[in-house]
Amino acid sequence: MTEVSTSRRTLLTASAATAAGLTLGACGSEDKSDTATERKPGEKITLMFWTWVPGIEKAVALWNKKNPDVQVKVEKVSPTNSAQYAKMHAALKAGNPPDLAQVEYQNIAEFLLDKGLLNLADHGAAEYRSKFVGWQWEQVVYDGGVYAIPQASGPMGMFYRHDLFRKWDIEPPATWDDYETAAKQIRKSGAYIGTFPASSGGWIASVAWQAGAQWFRTEGEKWIVGIDGEATRKVLTFWEGLVRGKLVKTIPVTQSAWYADIQSGDIVNWIGAQWGDALIKGNAPDTAGKWRAAPMPQWERGADASSNWGGSTTAVFTGAEHPKDAVDFAVWLNTDPESIDLLIKGGYGWPAAKQGFQGSSLDEASEFFDGQRYNEVFAASDKAVDTSWKWGPTTVPMFQHLTDELTEAMNGNASFTDAIGKVQKLVMDDMKEKGLKVEAA
Amino acid sequence: MTATEQTEPAGTDPVKRRREARRAAAARARRTGAPLRHRIITLSLLCVAALYFLVPVYWLGVSSTKSSADLFGTFGLWFSDPQPLDHLRDLVTYDDGIYLRWFANSLLYAGVGAAVATVLSAAAGYALAKYQFRGREAVFNIVLAGVLIPGTALALPLYLLFSEVGMANTYWAVLVPSVVSPFGVYLCRIYAAASVPDSLLEAARIDGAGEGKIFRVLALRLMSPALVTVFLFQFVHIWNNFFLPLVMLSDSKLYPITLGLSSWQGYADRQPVLYQLTVGGAFVSVLPLMVLMVVLQRYWRTGLTEGSLKS
Amino acid sequence: MAPARTPTRTRTRTRQRSRQRVTAPRNRAAAGFLLPFCLLFLACFIAPIGYALYQSMLKVERTGALGLGSETQVFAGLSNYTHALEDDRFVAGFGRVLLFGAVQVPVMILLATVLALLLESASARGVVFFRAAFFLPYGVPGVIASILWGFLYVPGISPLVDVLHGAGWEVDFLSDGTLLWSIANIVLWQFTGYNMLVLISQLKAVPGDLYEAARIDGANAWQVAWRIKLPLMRPALVLTTVFSIIGTLQLFSEPLVLRPLTGNVDTGYTPNLHAYDEAFKSNNYHGAAAEAVLLALVACVLSFGFLRLVGRSGKGDDR
Repeated sequence: MTEVSTSRRTLLTASAATAAGLTLGACGSEDKSDTATERKPGEKITLMFWTWVPGIEKAVALWNKKNPDVQVKVEKVSPTNSAQYAKMHAALKAGNPPDLAQVEYQNIAEFLLDKGLLNLADHGAAEYRSKFVGWQWEQVVYDGGVYAIPQASGPMGMFYRHDLFRKWDIEPPATWDDYETAAKQIRKSGAYIGTFPASSGGWIASVAWQAGAQWFRTEGEKWIVGIDGEATRKVLTFWEGLVRGKLVKTIPVTQSAWYADIQSGDIVNWIGAQWGDALIKGNAPDTAGKWRAAPMPQWERGADASSNWGGSTTAVFTGAEHPKDAVDFAVWLNTDPESIDLLIKGGYGWPAAKQGFQGSSLDEASEFFDGQRYNEVFAASDKAVDTSWKWGPTTVPMFQHLTDELTEAMNGNASFTDAIGKVQKLVMDDMKEKGLKVEAA
Repeated sequence: MTATEQTEPAGTDPVKRRREARRAAAARARRTGAPLRHRIITLSLLCVAALYFLVPVYWLGVSSTKSSADLFGTFGLWFSDPQPLDHLRDLVTYDDGIYLRWFANSLLYAGVGAAVATVLSAAAGYALAKYQFRGREAVFNIVLAGVLIPGTALALPLYLLFSEVGMANTYWAVLVPSVVSPFGVYLCRIYAAASVPDSLLEAARIDGAGEGKIFRVLALRLMSPALVTVFLFQFVHIWNNFFLPLVMLSDSKLYPITLGLSSWQGYADRQPVLYQLTVGGAFVSVLPLMVLMVVLQRYWRTGLTEGSLKS
Repeated sequence: MAPARTPTRTRTRTRQRSRQRVTAPRNRAAAGFLLPFCLLFLACFIAPIGYALYQSMLKVERTGALGLGSETQVFAGLSNYTHALEDDRFVAGFGRVLLFGAVQVPVMILLATVLALLLESASARGVVFFRAAFFLPYGVPGVIASILWGFLYVPGISPLVDVLHGAGWEVDFLSDGTLLWSIANIVLWQFTGYNMLVLISQLKAVPGDLYEAARIDGANAWQVAWRIKLPLMRPALVLTTVFSIIGTLQLFSEPLVLRPLTGNVDTGYTPNLHAYDEAFKSNNYHGAAAEAVLLALVACVLSFGFLRLVGRSGKGDDR
């Protein structure tokens, strides 16, 4: 109990200290004598790190072995329904967030509104720019500040049950038209090609992204919102046809019912991101050797448009007492070859560090994927991502709106395009509510 | 509402005991005399109800012996390669034994919270019942209104308030609100009014006993059946509470078992072994409470009827 | 609610004077007994409501496109309240829990009453076992009950769905139309036994002679239950109903736990869930405060309303 209250007090002091410059708000504690300073030589500290990358504790253990003075303690947080961000926002408001946390690219602007992230450029982060893939680095830069260390992206592809596709004599679909045809054929065998996961806002954004949508951009002081655009409408109309034709299920992905389906062969295909490989392996171990990967289906035959789903950073929260050490750890975690190797094995996504792919365990044939060097698919996908995509500052509620409105449309008679129109309106309301200037594209 | 009735204090009143014995004998006589058809209908209805209440518990018990893969892959109502001891070891050793810590936290929150709540409620209820002072009814009515406000409506404002004073995410954040039980005060007042005779208090005062001593020695003993009920009620209330710890706590070391298990469940899609741990952990955590409930069920009865139902 | 015991006014002057001498220490003692509770009650009930009222009348204003500029809290009047009340999903959440309460509470109380009467009837056997079996789920916290039933609702895992499927009945417990009742089932499962126990204790408090007399008058078991036992259980029925109404408005952990399993739990599924999302997903603490105030208000109105309703009709019965 004493241990807890001490760490609370120290954190409070620190956050109050940082808040002095950042108007974080009152935190109670008044003794702001010490600011976030460099660790004295020999001083032992512990950094708290919230993340949901499976198996990341192995990489952290390696760091802890090499850095006895700067110990990192991992705490796993649930990424389901944005629960992790609710927890982080609550902790920020309460004045005792962890030192470090996994934050997706899509949520950085949101935390900036909340004054939740430290500008790491103040702690020497800018010099690491060259170590990272250009577009991923750009995702953490706002207004000249560096607000996180890139970790990984989630280039999209397609996982499919190679054995069943061959048995049914179906080619992995190369275009979305092929996808619909395949969906019909697969239904005849009693299985489903996949599901339309209305509760997965990130996935919906990624399929719109592939079709060339631009949901957000800024113009001077103004946000321009283009969720209800032509590309998004085209994509959702396509999926609406599949849903209404009962060619796909409508259950949420990466949840128990879906795992039961991919294990049993009731669902035989997944338009998913690279980090999905670990989830399939972990939750459907009995299907080893039966899966393969292929590129995402295209809107135009022969094109190679791709997109990204998820993609994370390691960010440092305001209140961290030792930001310099936190930055050192975050950079090591995401660039050290040994660390990257362990993270890849856990399934963290596509490395943000340059030269992360070649020679790593990503670049190997996988028995689970039928001996395929399946990551070559994702390496190509990663290169094809339209990197001009930008995220808005209210991603968590936006994903919730997408879920709410699309589910309502599925349950009733409203069209998916009506739903996306409502989402656009709701998102703009949210942003106005936050005191931002907003305009429709 | 009807007027507060005077009831005899629960105790060893010989007349009452004799009457009870007579009643039991009559009941026995009546039972043997019930027609067979009635008995069969009653029994089958009771069996159907028992099935409804017990099957989920049975499922939990069976599933707690399964691995995550078997949880998804085998029929739910029967065993498949049960390894209860291995799973128990996995459960208590995972993440440096965090499960045991959560369990201890729950015991701390519920045990200490309920104990303090009982003492506070007893004192307040006794004062409201046995002392005449200005504003007494006003205080009581405000407390009553407190009974009617849902705890979850208070949790968010409390969180904002506690954040302001730096108390969120501490043991106190859950403990302090847990020791306030308006329902306990309500129950204690009604019970004290009914079971602590004024004449006894006057006699004690004439003997020179101080007010504090009278409360400790006389009132608390006479009120003890109600106190047990208040304690149990509050214990279960705190043990089951989810919203308050959910908004208050971000450090998993402070979690009670309910919050801990739901955090495991939330992460299980990334780490399938957690499905197994969640189900096993749920089973292990509800066992002691269920046993406690069943063993102590008569206390729910006594306190609640003697007191609260008289309003 | 509970009436004050009016002190008898037939006291002599001397007694009054002596009384004044003793009331001072007694008042001190009473204050001492009351103070600890009252202070904490103030801190944990009155203060948060006051603070929520205050917070609910503020809003944040920001400068700069990305919100990186300064932010200030300004007075917002009732705009957070109008905003909440204009939010279709928040209002729909109230409608949903009211519908839930209107169906689930009577069903639960009815089931508890039937079980109590069955267990207390002359023809029951194995009473101790059955009573314990029915009460058992009360020892399972709501979250854990929801996790448990969640497994029993998900197709592909649930033996329930399997069994029903085998019987030729395709049922989706998590669809738009069924979800609310699947949640109602969780609550029913958890609390029926508890309510039953309260009702039984009320029945036990009734002198057995009363039943005996009725029986001698030629009443059958059904008539005894309907004419005598049921009216006697009335106070307990009122108590359990009030608690169930309050419980209904608190509905939160069940939808929260089931949310990942289905898209049908929208952000305003229950008012509580909406307030939680507003606070921690939208980071709109002022809006969340307004919603918490509205929730508390509705709860008070409903509970007091119900108590007044039964209070009035109760007096009618007594006459």
